[in-house]
Amino acid sequence: MTATSRVPAAWRPATFVAALAGYGVFAYWAAHSTLYIQGLVLVAAVFGMLAVSLDLVAGMTGLYSLGHAGLFALGAYATTILYNDHHWNLFLILPACLLGVGAVGLVLGAVSLRVSGLYFAITTFVFTLVVTVFASDSTFTGGYGGLIGPIFPEFPSWLGWAGQSVIWACLIALLLTTLVVLAIRSSPLYPVLLAIRDAEPFAASAGASTAAVRIGLFGLSAAIAGGAGWMFAFQGIVSPSQFSWQVSVNILVMVILGGINTTIGPILGAVFITVFPAQVNINPFWQEILFGALFVGVIVVFPSGFVGLIRLIGRQIGRRLGLAGPAAPRVEEEQPGIVDAAAVSAVARAEERAAAASSNGSVPETPAIDCRDISFRYRSGPLVLNGVDFVVRRATIHGLIGPNGSGKSTLVDLISGRLRPVGGSIEIEGVAVDREGVTKRVGHGVARTFQSAVLVNELSARQNVQVGLYSRVPRLAARSLAWPALPSARRDGRRLRQTVDDSLAFVGAREWGRVRLADAPHGIAQLTQLAAACAWGPRTLILDEPLAGLAPSEVEHAASILTKLKSSGVSIVLIEHQPRFVFALCDDVTVLAAGEVVATGPAAAVREDEHVRRVYLGQ
Amino acid sequence: MTQVLLSGVAIGAIYGLVGMGFAIAFYVTRVINFAEGQLLMVGVMVAAWFARTGLNPWVAIVLGILAAAAVGAITYLVAVRPVLAFDRFSFSWLVSTLGVALILENGAALIWGPTSRSFPALLTGTSVHVGSATLTLQEVVTIAVAVAAAIGFELYRRRTLFGKLGMAIAHDPEMATALGANTVLVATAAFALAGAFAGLAGVMIGPITYSNPYLGDTYGIAGFVALMIGGTARPAAAMVGGLLLGILGEAANKLIDTQASDWFPFVVVVVMLLVLPEGLLSLTAPFRRAVRRARAPAGAPG
Repeated sequence: MTATSRVPAAWRPATFVAALAGYGVFAYWAAHSTLYIQGLVLVAAVFGMLAVSLDLVAGMTGLYSLGHAGLFALGAYATTILYNDHHWNLFLILPACLLGVGAVGLVLGAVSLRVSGLYFAITTFVFTLVVTVFASDSTFTGGYGGLIGPIFPEFPSWLGWAGQSVIWACLIALLLTTLVVLAIRSSPLYPVLLAIRDAEPFAASAGASTAAVRIGLFGLSAAIAGGAGWMFAFQGIVSPSQFSWQVSVNILVMVILGGINTTIGPILGAVFITVFPAQVNINPFWQEILFGALFVGVIVVFPSGFVGLIRLIGRQIGRRLGLAGPAAPRVEEEQPGIVDAAAVSAVARAEERAAAASSNGSVPETPAIDCRDISFRYRSGPLVLNGVDFVVRRATIHGLIGPNGSGKSTLVDLISGRLRPVGGSIEIEGVAVDREGVTKRVGHGVARTFQSAVLVNELSARQNVQVGLYSRVPRLAARSLAWPALPSARRDGRRLRQTVDDSLAFVGAREWGRVRLADAPHGIAQLTQLAAACAWGPRTLILDEPLAGLAPSEVEHAASILTKLKSSGVSIVLIEHQPRFVFALCDDVTVLAAGEVVATGPAAAVREDEHVRRVYLGQ
Repeated sequence: MTQVLLSGVAIGAIYGLVGMGFAIAFYVTRVINFAEGQLLMVGVMVAAWFARTGLNPWVAIVLGILAAAAVGAITYLVAVRPVLAFDRFSFSWLVSTLGVALILENGAALIWGPTSRSFPALLTGTSVHVGSATLTLQEVVTIAVAVAAAIGFELYRRRTLFGKLGMAIAHDPEMATALGANTVLVATAAFALAGAFAGLAGVMIGPITYSNPYLGDTYGIAGFVALMIGGTARPAAAMVGGLLLGILGEAANKLIDTQASDWFPFVVVVVMLLVLPEGLLSLTAPFRRAVRRARAPAGAPG
């Protein structure tokens, strides 16, 4: 949860204006202070930008980049060289830096994303290393000595009262960076990004091309680092030692020390790490030891960094003043029931849709899903599926049952595009989709859930359902950069919240909407998954054991939801273990055993099948 | 050429020991101890200090290794365990272990001074001829000790209960705890052993580098890269990574220019990572699978 979401909505504009005014006063003071302080402010602001840009990728999508010092170096060197040697206008260099370094970031991201986790860190680390070695060994970069950077133009005389122009420039740059990142954080893209980080299959099945989003975000982060480099060039000298890999590590330290994925925290971290060594004047060894001890102390006592500390203090003050905060109701104690009267309206809407569908003509002839002769194996292992035919008629519930390891989930992964078959073909609504990936298949109206709920635990149920709506918000990624300022976004946001609420109400979990999933029971996670899958109105729904772990009353409730969905024209594939439930609910049933179809057809017929009774029902 | 290869193996053995130190701690706790290089430095400094007080150099060396092991264990208890207790998946240990590295490095500089001091030279005087190449006895012993340590560790990990416990905890600490494993004890032991590997590397390289508080930076990075080359699946793979890194570095210095070892090995590593995202040793996976299948009796689960 973000800190801002705790502030009551009506206070937000006032808080924002007050914070902005305070920032302006600080900038005015800094622009009139001594050169020494101005130097510190410039460096702190630049590292603040870098820390915010790294937090954008590390905090939101889990990409721990050590390439930011290298990207930073590209910006600083490009600015200095273009100005000194090619006499470009400084304000033409800025967009060039943003675009150029951003493009480098896209390439670096695309290359490095082949590997993940620690390997992503090392690939980007080597990028920084190569940039600095290149800068040290080339003559046009001035070698180890570096280059003398440009001087920032003074304010025109009518703005002379404002003081030192470069201070205003760097503080405005930091402000803009922060606002862009905060805009992303407040947009519906944010839950999607966290889903890409924590629950990638979920994000992909919602139609997000996870690799493209990650690379794009890394490109944006790189562009900001390039902009920070532009700003840094005005600080005097640009030399290789200022961009070593240790600087990359330092930026990451700023992010974590301040509080990862908090946007404001990394700025605090940057200020601390910049100002502390400059202001504490003791024996240099003792100073470094103290610095190290602070690292250990802060992180051990407040694992979520400075922001964790600030939140703790804020909560203490709040308690002292009796402002427990109306925005945080004690939901855990209420234990709201699952069934909700508001669901009725959503169901009514679903039924309207069904009526509309039937008035448009009869149900189309082509099956919702048509798998022919599917075979699959993992690498060089044995065949997991062998010659499976699987046809789902429109607007029916098709049960898929079989013992553990019979290939049910594998078949579903093949249909949704997460896996590719070694043989056979798959058609969705009459269209061959063999060449399409997960994201494209979402375009054919296919939604799915996962066996063990794959969701973002640190987000609320509502935010998780929002992830499911990713494909319904046009140009979300681009618009997220200025989300709170866009009138169209306000409209879309309202519509989105309404859809989310309706969808949660439809599955009967509306009262849990604001509860973090980490604090919600298992049944609610299952229902949230279902709500996320239903939210955007798919025509085909694949549910992988949606009833696992539900109480008997909840199972009945879920069954009624599925029946309603069916009556509104949705075709459903249901993987389930409880035979009684399956045969009562499903129109058709397919029984898999050891990767082959044992029986398929109308539920009643399959139930009477001699072979099925022996193999599966144990009779 | 033989000389390049052998010198590379000798220095690579040091990288490999440090890399295994990283890997052993990572293997059990999923934490990269960024103070690992500084543990090597602790080994060197403490051994040199005891030797200067007139103690038998061999005893001083053993004490140096023990000191590195002790500091490794303390690092876990003070800087890593509380962080993991809060959130097993957070990366906050990056900051706290870097903090430990700062404390160790500057603490050593404060106590013993920032300049290089002597280190007992026991074996550097004797030369060993291998074909056309010459190594010091020190280098030969380093290679032998490093390879023995890697093989010994791997056997210990696979054949003893304690080693298997490490695997279990790495896989799922909560389940291991539920089954009665003392997670904290095993993790502390892993950090101590990781420290001992770094300390061992330290006393091996000490006669060449002398004792210097800033040794940790250079060898820490090299060890880290050795870990990356080898991959994180098996700690002993970091030894292979270290040897490869050593050979690449020596070759780059000889064949490109004297500064090339600063960047050439890293570029090779990245190209390799892009080709083999799971580390070099993932290449051998099909062979190992085949061997296992051949060994297992027909029908038995592999």
